[in-house]
Amino acid sequence: MTWNTAVRTIVACAILIVLHYTLRPLLAWRASIDFLVIALLIGSVRMRPGAAAVYGFMLGFVADSVDVSGFGAAALAMSLVGFSASWLKAVFFADNLVLNGFFLFIAKWVFDVLFLILGRNAHGTELMVQMFVWSPIAAAVTAVAGVVVLTILRPLMETRTA
Amino acid sequence: MANPARLGNRVDAGLLIACVGLSFIAIVLRDQDREPIASALRRTVVAPLVGLQRGAERWRVAYVTNDARQMAVDSVVMRTMNSQALQVENDQLRRILGLGSRLEWGFVPADALRGTAPSEQLVTTLTLTAGSTAGVTRYSPVVAPEGLVGTIQTADPTMSIAILYTNPDFRASAMAVDGSTFGIIYPHAQRGSGSDAYMLEMRGVPTKIQLKPGTTIYTSGLGGTFPRGITIGTIVVELKTSEVWTRTYLVRPAVTPSQVTTVLILTPKRISQGTGNIWGAASAMNADSASKRIATAGDSLAKRAAAADARARATALDSLRQAAVDSALRSLGMSVPNRARPDSVKSRPPPDSVRRP
Repeated sequence: MTWNTAVRTIVACAILIVLHYTLRPLLAWRASIDFLVIALLIGSVRMRPGAAAVYGFMLGFVADSVDVSGFGAAALAMSLVGFSASWLKAVFFADNLVLNGFFLFIAKWVFDVLFLILGRNAHGTELMVQMFVWSPIAAAVTAVAGVVVLTILRPLMETRTA
Repeated sequence: MANPARLGNRVDAGLLIACVGLSFIAIVLRDQDREPIASALRRTVVAPLVGLQRGAERWRVAYVTNDARQMAVDSVVMRTMNSQALQVENDQLRRILGLGSRLEWGFVPADALRGTAPSEQLVTTLTLTAGSTAGVTRYSPVVAPEGLVGTIQTADPTMSIAILYTNPDFRASAMAVDGSTFGIIYPHAQRGSGSDAYMLEMRGVPTKIQLKPGTTIYTSGLGGTFPRGITIGTIVVELKTSEVWTRTYLVRPAVTPSQVTTVLILTPKRISQGTGNIWGAASAMNADSASKRIATAGDSLAKRAAAADARARATALDSLRQAAVDSALRSLGMSVPNRARPDSVKSRPPPDSVRRP
């Protein structure tokens, strides 16, 4: 990854992180867009898996510091998702937007499942409803938003192929 | 397929294991141990993001509550407007009640309903919610707390129609506040705008009498339509007319017809017995008469003082003249006649008399 690409990636991720803390609370949807996951995937596919895990850990730790109900859960989930995204980028991050959207959907859903299980915020039926109703919806919304973001940023960013 | 070379990189695996380990440590930390870490992060690195989130949530709250807040503001504005209208109406009713309590008897209260004809720019008639069954008759005077409003033109059983002083057919015999000047009130032909929309004319004032602006005009009671002493308005200015022997004055009416909502209709018995000093005409006249009497008394005192002074001077001159004549007679050796009055001589004690002990 060149310096130019690195700077663009950092700026794109910074914008997404800012959107996560501005647009998301402004919309306040029940199944909201997770811009942090989009930022994590956009950054992870341009890093080595270890660096992606550290990046995910940092993003998750920031999210945990704001919402301390499941402190550490988001860091763990994002570390795993970031590492997996970097490891699987050759498979999923092709030029196909649908594949990218699917990967975003899976990443968000996995993150939510890990977060719910590790954070122990919900139990029983509530946990099931959250995991299999609201999390897929949030994942779908995030996937759509991620596809839109990728479409906008595609001219500026080029994905590193394996 | 996964990249075996990268997957097998020990550094990557070590970093992943480290991150997972740290995350697990954070998860198993007790609340009192994790809170300082989270708090330190919120105060330093995450502080800008927390500020952004707080600002966004404020915007959202403002947006969500905007409609409710706007409705609350609208309700407050509406209540304020209603309260103002109620206050105005309350004031009018209080004044009407005050007038009614001063009149005590011989009147019929009524609400004034205005016509809504679009062609009628000025209010010239009023529909009143009291009729002949309540004692209202044709030509009954219609009054408000401020003064004269008009007269009844048609009296139906339950309602009546009054012509206002703005009506071209309206006439009223009027007098100045001191009762010395009389004239006839007519509606002013030229209609102005704003506060000058409703003006009157006082015609037939003798040329030798000049009324000052601000002089209050009352009904004179002549003709029997209106009782004496109802306020009509105040003199504004003299109008230029072709009349030689009389003057015409522009009068600003005391009552604004557009603001009249409740009126009192005087009954014929009350007209015949008069309204007394309800609108302050008598007190004004009394004050004027008193001032005139004071001025007259002052004048008579001054005249008396001047006459006494003149008499004293004449007496002094006369004494001097007599003294000069007596002196001349004495110098010539002639006898001086005794000019003392008999009563004055009597009162004076004789010089040789001795006072008894």
